[in-house]
This record gives sequence, structure tokens and C-alpha cells, in this order.
Amino acid sequence: MADERDPKISQRYRNLSGEEPSRELDQAILAAAHRSVDRSHAPLVVPAGRHRWYYSLGAAAVLVLAIAVTIHVERQQPDAELAEAPPPAPQQDKPVSAPTAPAAQPSRDMAARKERRQVYTPEPPPAPAAPAPTQSAQPSAGAMADSAAARRDAEASAREEQAKRNVEALKKERAAASRAAPAPMASPYAAVTPERELERIADLRRQGRDEEADKALAEFRRRYPDYVISDEMKAKVERKAAK
Amino acid sequence: MAAYRGGDAGAFEVLYARHRTRLFRFVLRSVKARALAEELYQEVWMRVIEARASYAPKARFTTWLYTIAHNRLVDHWRKRGLTLVALEADDVASASPDPADHAQARESLARFAAALEALPALQREAFLLHEEGELSVAEIASATGANEETAKSRLRYAMAKLKAAVDDG
Repeated sequence: MADERDPKISQRYRNLSGEEPSRELDQAILAAAHRSVDRSHAPLVVPAGRHRWYYSLGAAAVLVLAIAVTIHVERQQPDAELAEAPPPAPQQDKPVSAPTAPAAQPSRDMAARKERRQVYTPEPPPAPAAPAPTQSAQPSAGAMADSAAARRDAEASAREEQAKRNVEALKKERAAASRAAPAPMASPYAAVTPERELERIADLRRQGRDEEADKALAEFRRRYPDYVISDEMKAKVERKAAK
Repeated sequence: MAAYRGGDAGAFEVLYARHRTRLFRFVLRSVKARALAEELYQEVWMRVIEARASYAPKARFTTWLYTIAHNRLVDHWRKRGLTLVALEADDVASASPDPADHAQARESLARFAAALEALPALQREAFLLHEEGELSVAEIASATGANEETAKSRLRYAMAKLKAAVDDG
């Protein structure tokens, strides 16, 4: 609307006294403007009004997530690698498997990982078929302790082997029994395990019923020809004079 | 204003410095009493501050600012039991300016001031919006809630009367 503007009128108007707001008024208005900006940050700290539900919902969601993760971690089984990895004791490993390579030490990280594996594995099975440790005993300060530990390890391996053989024998026996006597006329030994039978023989032996014990032992050996009786059990089931 | 809405208090200071004098004169020459003008002027700025968060730039800030000022003046006049009546056909002399102004009739500036003061309120407002706010006719119409033809007519009448006062000087 520039065509409405008259320069003479504008000039005369400008020549009127130039009133201005007072300085106090200016300061009051500017202070109010600053206060408004400062107040606007408050809701970030203290949510108010209709936005409160949003923060409550967020907090509840975080809580539920945390509980779910905790339950999941507790139920989580160790993975296959960790469960099946043979965790031999580190002090047994070193002298047996790498006696002449002290430079090839596993890193600290690996050692820490092994520690964790041992923690996660509830019942570490013995090392399978560990070589006999006696031939490479080290002339170090812990050699005696190491060889004793290695011997214990070998014994544990042997027991494991024996247990495996016993299980195999039992499986064969049960398979043969099932083939020979289909269902109704099952052998009285069908429900009896070799271990229980040996316990029964040991009981007979303790009660002094040696004749019955001898017969039962002979019958046991006939039924389980592949079963290897441990030394401890042999002492219980065999006649003392036979020793 | 957008910067101030975003939390920049310094932006408000720039805006305030740009508009303080013109807006104050607009209010002062609308109500004529300085104390009342200061009160209304402060209320206008307070409304600007309160509207900071909801400000949406639909028009120039100046138009928006003077719209607030106009509304505040209308509220003021309504409280006083006064209404703005369009007196486009009235003669300037019928407004009967203060006799003291007649005593200074030889001074053109005083005559101009008297002519401005004598303008009907809506014409004076249209002139002040045009002169102080530098609003166009369309913006004056928007700020005062009138249609463009009415705003243009008010402004034209005001300019004619003021031009007569200037020419007389």
C-alpha cells in the first residue's frame, strides 16, 4: 500500500515528539521473557499434566525388560561348545601336553576364558584318554604334585573306560534278553542291574552265606561275561579265601 | 520469534528492540494517557511472551504483534464501556479538539498532532498501523478483523484529514 503513503504526512508525523517506553518497563518485559524461557525447561525435569503417563509407561517397560532378560539369562544353558569342551585342569595341561614349549603360553585372555568355562560347566567330565603322565615328569618344583594329579587323572580315565564298557555290556545283555524272552516270561534278572546284583551278592557275603554268594557270583559271571567288576566290588563279592 | 520459541531469549531482545518504540507510540496515540499506554503496552508484550510456545508464523511477526495490540485496545475500550464507532463521514472539526491546541494553531506540528488526535479511533488506528507498524492495507484488515475495502477506506479518510492539517501549516 505504498501508494497510500504521503511523504509529507510521514515526515510531519515523525516530527512529533518521540515517546518511548520507560527503562523500567523495558527491563520488566525482558525479565519476563527470560523467565518464560527458563520455565520452559522445567517440564524436562518434572513432567506435568497429560505427559506423565508417558514417563510412567517408559519406566514400566524398562522394568519388564530387565526382569525378562534376567530370567532368560538364568534359564539359559551353557552352549554346546562350553558344555562339551573338556576342561582339564590348567596345571595338568601344561606339563603333559607342552612340556618343552614354555614360550607358547596361552594368552591371559584365553586363560580367563578357560576360567569362565570351568565356572559354567557344572560337572566337568574327565579328560578322555589322557596319556599316562609319568613318562614326561618335569624336574621342576611342582613335578611331584603334577605327577600325582596326572595319576589321579589317569585313574579317573580308566574308571570312565570301565564304566563305558559296563554300559555296553549291559546294553548287549538287555538286547539279547529281549530277543530270547519276548514279553511275559522275562528273566528275573531282566529288571535287575548288574550293580544291584553285585550288591546283593555282597550282602550275602556279609551275612556269611558264602555258598549262596558263590553261586550267585558264578551265575552273575555267566550272565554278564563282559562285565568288569571293580576291585572295590571284587573285595566285597569274592570269597576271602580266594584272595 | 521462531528462535525465541526455541528457547533463545536473546532473540526476544532483538525483536523487542526493533518494535518497542513504534509499538509504544501506537498504543500511546491510541489511548493518549501515558500511564495507561504503558500498562497496555506491557500487556501486549506479555501476551507475546505467553504465546511463545504456540506461536505459528502464519503472517509477518509485525502483523501478529499489532493484531495483539489491536485486540488489547478493543478489550480496554469495552471495559470502559466504549465502542469503536466508524465515523468516516465526520468532519475533523466535529471532534472538537482541545482549545489549548487551537492556541498553538500556528505551529504546524501542533496542528498535525491535533488532527491526529482528532481522528476517529478506527481511522487513527488504521493510520498508526500503517505508519508505525508499516502494515499494508491487507495487513491492517487482517490485524483489525475488517475487510480490505473497509481498511482501505479508513486509511484513506485518515490520510486526507491529516493532509489537510499539513497543508494548512
